[in-house]
Amino acid sequence: MSTVDQTYQRPKRGLGTTRLAGAGLLIFLGGFAIIGPAVIPFDPAAQDFGASLAPIGGDYLLGADHYGRSLLARLAHGARLSFGMAFLTMLAAAIPGVLFGLIAAWRGGWTERGFEFVATIVLALPGLMLVLLLLAFSPGNYGPLFLGLALTLWVEFYRVTKATTKTILSQPHIEAARMLGFGSRYILTHYVVPVITPMISTLAAFAMATAIIAVSTLSAISVGLQPPTPELGSMIVELLPYFAEAPMHVLLPAALIFLLVLALQLLAQGERA
Amino acid sequence: MAIKNFLLARLLQAGIVAIVVGALCFVLMRVLPGDAAMRIAAGRYGPDARIADAAEKVRLELGLDRPIAVQFIEWLGSLARFDLGHSLVTGRAVAHELQVQLGASVWLAVAALMLSLLIGPIVGLFGGLRPGGTADRVGLLGAVTFRAIPPFVLGLILMLVFSRQLGWLPPAGFGSPREILLPALTLALGLAAMSSRVTRNAVAAVARAPYFAFARYKGLPEAVVVRRHGLRNAAIPVVSYLGLQAIYLIEGVVVVESLFAYPGIGHALVHAIVERDVPMVQGTALAMGLMFVAIAAIVDLVTLWLDPRMRKIA
Amino acid sequence: MNIQLMNDLAINDLSIHAADGTIVSNVSLSLGRGRPLTLLGESGSGKSLVAQAIMGNLPAGVHATGRVLFKGLDLLAEPAAERRQRWGRSIGLLPQEPWLALDPTMRVGPQVAEVHRYVKGKTVNDSLAATSQNLAEVSLSQAEALYPFQISGGMGQRVAIAMADAADTELLIADEPTKGLDAALRDSVAARLKCEVEAGRLLLTITHDVAVARALGGTIGVMLEGRLVEYGPAETLLEKPEHAYTKALLAAEPSQWEKRTRPSSGKTVVAAQALEKRYGDRVLFSGFDVAIAAGEIVSIVGPSGCGKTTIGNILLGLTTPDAGAVVRDTVLSSLRFQKLYQDPPAAFAPHQTIRRGLKDLARLHGKDWTKIEALCGRLRLQDALLDRLPGQVSGGELQRFALLRALLLDPAFLFADEATSRLDPVSQQDVITFLQEIVEETGLAVLLVTHDRDLAEKVSTRLIELGGFQGKST
Repeated sequence: MSTVDQTYQRPKRGLGTTRLAGAGLLIFLGGFAIIGPAVIPFDPAAQDFGASLAPIGGDYLLGADHYGRSLLARLAHGARLSFGMAFLTMLAAAIPGVLFGLIAAWRGGWTERGFEFVATIVLALPGLMLVLLLLAFSPGNYGPLFLGLALTLWVEFYRVTKATTKTILSQPHIEAARMLGFGSRYILTHYVVPVITPMISTLAAFAMATAIIAVSTLSAISVGLQPPTPELGSMIVELLPYFAEAPMHVLLPAALIFLLVLALQLLAQGERA
Repeated sequence: MAIKNFLLARLLQAGIVAIVVGALCFVLMRVLPGDAAMRIAAGRYGPDARIADAAEKVRLELGLDRPIAVQFIEWLGSLARFDLGHSLVTGRAVAHELQVQLGASVWLAVAALMLSLLIGPIVGLFGGLRPGGTADRVGLLGAVTFRAIPPFVLGLILMLVFSRQLGWLPPAGFGSPREILLPALTLALGLAAMSSRVTRNAVAAVARAPYFAFARYKGLPEAVVVRRHGLRNAAIPVVSYLGLQAIYLIEGVVVVESLFAYPGIGHALVHAIVERDVPMVQGTALAMGLMFVAIAAIVDLVTLWLDPRMRKIA
Repeated sequence: MNIQLMNDLAINDLSIHAADGTIVSNVSLSLGRGRPLTLLGESGSGKSLVAQAIMGNLPAGVHATGRVLFKGLDLLAEPAAERRQRWGRSIGLLPQEPWLALDPTMRVGPQVAEVHRYVKGKTVNDSLAATSQNLAEVSLSQAEALYPFQISGGMGQRVAIAMADAADTELLIADEPTKGLDAALRDSVAARLKCEVEAGRLLLTITHDVAVARALGGTIGVMLEGRLVEYGPAETLLEKPEHAYTKALLAAEPSQWEKRTRPSSGKTVVAAQALEKRYGDRVLFSGFDVAIAAGEIVSIVGPSGCGKTTIGNILLGLTTPDAGAVVRDTVLSSLRFQKLYQDPPAAFAPHQTIRRGLKDLARLHGKDWTKIEALCGRLRLQDALLDRLPGQVSGGELQRFALLRALLLDPAFLFADEATSRLDPVSQQDVITFLQEIVEETGLAVLLVTHDRDLAEKVSTRLIELGGFQGKST
């Protein structure tokens, strides 16, 4: 038995607040990542052995690491690296992914089958495995890391775009629009793009979160970016032996990764979290 | 019929895994700096006194103007015969090394999966029975938190808390259930963070479903309603989601093994990459890839058994 | 007192309240053996809530006051656990859209058998035997081992009846039992419900379909906006309705319409010869000829799945036939061939306001906005509706916007694909009347595809029957 009017259903609560929290956190961290490196008067690579493992709140605002490098500066540069890398990777995955998805849905037939085949090949292996294999060509470099991540991440953009676009194009309102004389260009910009845009934004945030996790993880297991690059994952591992003396120093970069990923995930999923 | 189609698709996937891994390693072997012939000879025949002769043989082979395609097919051929060659570092047969490591990794994966199934679906069940209630909110908070922590950070935190601070568990090693517990728990928490929400949504969806309400209107006692119409329907999305979680599991195994110095295939893969030990890279990547396909195939079978609708689709 | 004895179910002064006010007020009804009660009304009239109050499954946050006397006991006074004990034992429910009420992962047989096993407490073997009999009675013996996704809507409805028979409750509540079924299936369901009444069960039916109420007879209650506006024996109420709403409802039934057709002498706009379409091995139709002239309304009637929509789409060039040819008047631009869809919201982009869509259309074809304003006035569409999204206006209004959109292009041929089947009777009549007027004024040629024979007979110049029998290939 249904036929209960909408008014008797419980209204959805907290719609958007999660997203808002994510956006706020992201703006704060983004500001730290973009403005931080410019305004913090320390070189992230400058060593000062006198200040080795300097405590938080002393000469150095967030202390210094075992080489006496400013942790604040290193965190800011690390955040910029993670963020920038994630953003570029996302773009490199999203642009071809969305484009191929649209083409496949629009053309169908062999074009679609071709793209599907490539996607199947990429998805045969877990993404990180593919990145690892590419990293074997030149460990510690940006190139293969970037390429590997983009190569694994584009598929999700492609699949969502293709599936959604196909569904939209098969709906009666598209048939009606064509009969009314509207062209493909109008249908694309007015009927397809508005529907896929929010989905693509969600995917973009997820892709950035994935990239941040992947870069820090790979650096932490020493196949990603290498010290002395101020990369958050490798900072954690570098500082780990000094955990007994300076536990907060280890936890700071970890917390920064956590917050970056959290912000992106909150932004991406909103109330569905 | 449907089962056959699903297994065929997975077999195809296994073939693609072999070709992708084989192709990348084939190229890798040739682009690394240094003497490729020597490296290939050592990889093929193992290091022994006559390595120089073998290298000469290989050099001749390579120099014989044989098309790259033929060499590649030969490379894949030996892969198909499970002739994985010898490690460039230890000189031992790759297949031999894998045997030991595979067992360790499978144990870790199974332990992690079991632990996650103990945590995730139970947390999700309580959330789904009363959506919006306290259990649901706590579950959501936990899921969001654990999902935002990369496995290596989570592993480090667990290591610091349970072995360094509390001294309850060993931080690394292999051999007893005590050593498997920390790496498995690391993976399980990440997996459970995802599966708990899927369970929660599945349970909530079933509780809202017209067939669930109708089972009550038919007069069935509540226990019968849940047993006959609730469990299977709620389990379907959770099980099929395990297929996606296989990705997280395999990636996590690589990371967590490296972190806890757990002597499994993931650990060996990362080592082989750092050392540019191509035959080992190939062997370990292949083993991990096939493990991924195997998990996916098992998930397929369970889903088919649970959901009659899937038997039609195939 | 006398009346009380005769009535096995008596509802006195039932009101249903939600947090923000009363949604059903002061409903009093009764029904007895051999005298079924049918509650008639459109969605939102509160008729389903009355049924839920009797059943005891009102949604959370909604409660009922008054009295529901079932064999002398006040159901509303009983605690929830006791009321649940009645489900499947003294009160049974025939669900709306039974294909959704069946567990998708369980075969049909066990879903019937569990009533015998767990409600009646029979042994496993007895339950199986009784199940086979229940299914045989609704001619579904062959469906016992099928899953719900493998059976049709009509079969699903019969499975639900088999379950109701298995439970054999004294009171049976049928909630919109014909929702989503076409006319033929609707009549067969009504006939089965009548059998239940003859077998001595108490029957309360909730429906929006006057035909169902007429077929069942007994007593009819008409509900409007949470009130019972008319109540009485079926014969009297259907013959001499008193309330204005009942009158409108009955007059809107196609069988009551005045026949209004006009022979056409215009020239042929679109014609097709020897059309054939097959799906796999199944031949939908073959050797089908049709010609539609200006000023003519041609109807194709037939059960669901007989291929009638496909014919319309072939005439529009949206589907290619497997054999045969379509001839269109060549002087006409393809823009002058238009279509009205079965589900109005699906024919509009869900996120685009109606005004925006119409503005873009007018700009595309260089039409003046005043023409749209004139058509709005003509089709009684208020200006305020233009700023809403398609999902925010009623189906009838939206279908009139679809008509407006097509008329803007000065169409020569219009294919109305079940265009009014999802509308309530009054809106249906509105849309059809507008369509008839336009045909008379402009000489538009219309192909009307419908499963409603009455409607087709009243409005069309010619009626083509497309039988399912043609579709079977042997």
